[in-house]
Amino acid sequence: MTALIETRSISKAYRGVPAVNQVSFTLERGEIHALLGENGAGKSTLTKMMAGVVQPTGGELLVDGRAVTYANPAEALRDGIVMVFQETSLVPSMTVAQNLYLGDESFFNRLRGLYIAAQQFLQSLNFNVDPWATVATLGAAKKQMVEIARAVRQNARVIIFDEPTASLTPEEKHHFFALIRRLTARGVSIVFISHALEEALQISDRITILRDGEHVSTDLAANFSRERIIREMVGRDLTGALYSRSRARLPGKPALDVRNLSMGQAVRNNSFTVYSGQVTGVFGLIGSGRTETAKIVAGILKRDFFHGGEVRIGADPVRYRVPRAAILDGVCYVTEDRKLEGFFETMSIAENLQMGELTARSHSGFVLRMAEMQTLADEWRNRLAIRSGDADARVIELSGGNQQKVVIAKSLVQKPSVIIFDEPTRGVDVGAIAEIHALINRLADDGLAVMVISSYLPEILNLSDRILVSQRGRIVEEFSPETATQENIMYAAVH
Amino acid sequence: MIAAARDMFQRWRGSGRYAAAVPPMDGVLGPNQLIEEAPLLLETEAPDNLVADGDLFLFSTGNRVMRLGPAGPDAAPETFAKFEHPVSALALAADGALAVGLDSGAIHVKGGPHDGTVLHELGGRDIVCPTELLFDKAGSLLVALGSQQNPPSRWRHDLMEKNASGSVWRLDLASGEPSCIADGLAWPAGMLAGHDGQLTVSESWRNRLVDVCPGTKPKVSLSDLPGYPGRLSPASDGGAWLSVFAPRSQLVEFVLREDDYRCTMMAEVEPDLWIAPSLTAAQSFLEPMQLGGLKQLGVLKPWAPTRSYGLAIGLDCKGMPRASFHSRADGTRHGITSALEIDGRLLLASKGGNAIVSITLDEHGAAR
Repeated sequence: MTALIETRSISKAYRGVPAVNQVSFTLERGEIHALLGENGAGKSTLTKMMAGVVQPTGGELLVDGRAVTYANPAEALRDGIVMVFQETSLVPSMTVAQNLYLGDESFFNRLRGLYIAAQQFLQSLNFNVDPWATVATLGAAKKQMVEIARAVRQNARVIIFDEPTASLTPEEKHHFFALIRRLTARGVSIVFISHALEEALQISDRITILRDGEHVSTDLAANFSRERIIREMVGRDLTGALYSRSRARLPGKPALDVRNLSMGQAVRNNSFTVYSGQVTGVFGLIGSGRTETAKIVAGILKRDFFHGGEVRIGADPVRYRVPRAAILDGVCYVTEDRKLEGFFETMSIAENLQMGELTARSHSGFVLRMAEMQTLADEWRNRLAIRSGDADARVIELSGGNQQKVVIAKSLVQKPSVIIFDEPTRGVDVGAIAEIHALINRLADDGLAVMVISSYLPEILNLSDRILVSQRGRIVEEFSPETATQENIMYAAVH
Repeated sequence: MIAAARDMFQRWRGSGRYAAAVPPMDGVLGPNQLIEEAPLLLETEAPDNLVADGDLFLFSTGNRVMRLGPAGPDAAPETFAKFEHPVSALALAADGALAVGLDSGAIHVKGGPHDGTVLHELGGRDIVCPTELLFDKAGSLLVALGSQQNPPSRWRHDLMEKNASGSVWRLDLASGEPSCIADGLAWPAGMLAGHDGQLTVSESWRNRLVDVCPGTKPKVSLSDLPGYPGRLSPASDGGAWLSVFAPRSQLVEFVLREDDYRCTMMAEVEPDLWIAPSLTAAQSFLEPMQLGGLKQLGVLKPWAPTRSYGLAIGLDCKGMPRASFHSRADGTRHGITSALEIDGRLLLASKGGNAIVSITLDEHGAAR
């Protein structure tokens, strides 16, 4: 029986740099096939070629045994191949229902019928999303749900998920996996890109591992272990480096003091302190007000006008109206949504870093010295091991992990004293996770006050010197990493 | 002019120095349940004023001074002295003298060379509110008067009236000559004599510790505490133990700024039901709603906002917090008014929880 999708020595190069190099891959009917690899391994590019988003520069793509060439995603969709992207492609100004039926509208639309159908469809998937809600008002998890629902609605034969669970809560993941199993029972094949190795082992039937754009191995999931996956992904053993912690650092002086901070329903009377020379981890479910709190601190969002509480940097109360004022005071926020808020995607690495550096200057001047810009970019590319052809590579062309490193570098060039990482390893592979964790630890060792917001418990447990748990807009518990367990952290976050 | 306008704007908006914000309990003051989970030494009504000298271990409860027998603090208590009014302060001298402050506004000295001395005024000022007594090395009696308006039992009134009429005195018992060390304090509730003769006083309503010296302005040694500091007692490592008898809360801070509301509340509502700090955990459904402190599925969460709390803070030699012991919102051992380190154990009097608890300390002064 022919495979549903088969690639034969398929290749794709950007500016002559191969992203995928002669990869052969097969997807059978009704199987869940996990595609694993470090950032830059070529997973996204491989799947984009299958979905018609990019076109191969070599090799062959076969669907149902016949060679095909897709010029765009619409052609792939006609063959039942849909890709759900890591960064959502929804129209933010439209409602959930409008997004679901986008492209399928008739000349006259009964709004009521549209919303009822959308409601029923979302309920059938167990997705708790209001069809009347404007997409711009939704959190990352709910956007992801709408994106998945749209793919399912298009009756796809193959759905390619790129990091589908990165922004989902444990409960939502449970629903998502159940949905995937229902889809496979209907004969739908799933290609599943994830950096959460446990998920891949748990959900998939087969696993393919890529490294540096080349195929490494394909085998039944049952034949893989976490260690084997990591070894094959990065070509070295990282298990010890990942999620193993050293002794907790002692706190330095209070660097950031948040008192009774309030912003509508999102942040409610939130109080906590971040100390110099320590990593303060903040765990909470999505919607628990962590990101909003960090953004208020960094001057991106505004607290309540009346009785909005206090933010102190050192001993001084501050109220930033724009992020630049915070940056000048040494407070940097590394966003969770790198594509939207983290970088200028059409600019080069050097230009992005220069933009970060310019923000931190009190006097910008009129002349931009290209040589300085290049030196700055080269320095940070080396320091953070950003893998790209050169510093002129556009950030959009980089892999997720390298994009994240650019976002981090863009903040670090601002020489912060307080740095807030929001989901620093979301959508980042294990190799880059280890590098980013090492970087965060190094920053704390150098005396910076580091705050890490994460929804991934092992990350919080192993990176933090103190663990704060956020629930419904405020910090409710503090644990030391020695005494904290996943159970008691989750209890505080949920109950 | 601009400053005045800004001040008015901040007052209207509730920002700047008008932000009713309280410091968080985290870091060294990060919450735990060590007081709640500590072994019970003794269950007795409203224990307070833990003092010891050699084998003699005393505490006060109501009108009585109780002694835990020579067998040590684990033995059953017996009445050591009884007074007509509630005991508010207690000090024990090396020569066996016992100074007792009463809620009625008197200080009695029992035993020692000045046995029978009774004081009703100091330097022409009536003793209204003896909150803390301490014998110094020279044998003088240090007296903290919390207020000139209210006796110790009306501490909540004094806070809500926003008084700052407390003072600290040194009394030479031999000559009977008093001298004022500091005045204009906002409810001095604890005193600690340092090795260098420095006297540290806890100023409850200003949430801080100050070093006081005659003729100079008090010097702040620790400020912006998340609760109302009470008694201080020495620690074996050269530091100190600070009892924090009630927590600060944003709601109470807000009420303290709203003068009309506060005056109406004081005039029309029973003191126990005021929006004010409390020594005792909530028991009545009539108690004020505690902004978000509602029960979930019948369970009061430990992080719920609360008017009462149990907190003792260990201070290092420099007066900085180094350890803390808590009984949180869902606990009962609240209103820690006195702490005493004895034989590698920390005894804490929970006046609101009617208990004296014992915490075994490790070599670093933390709970073992």
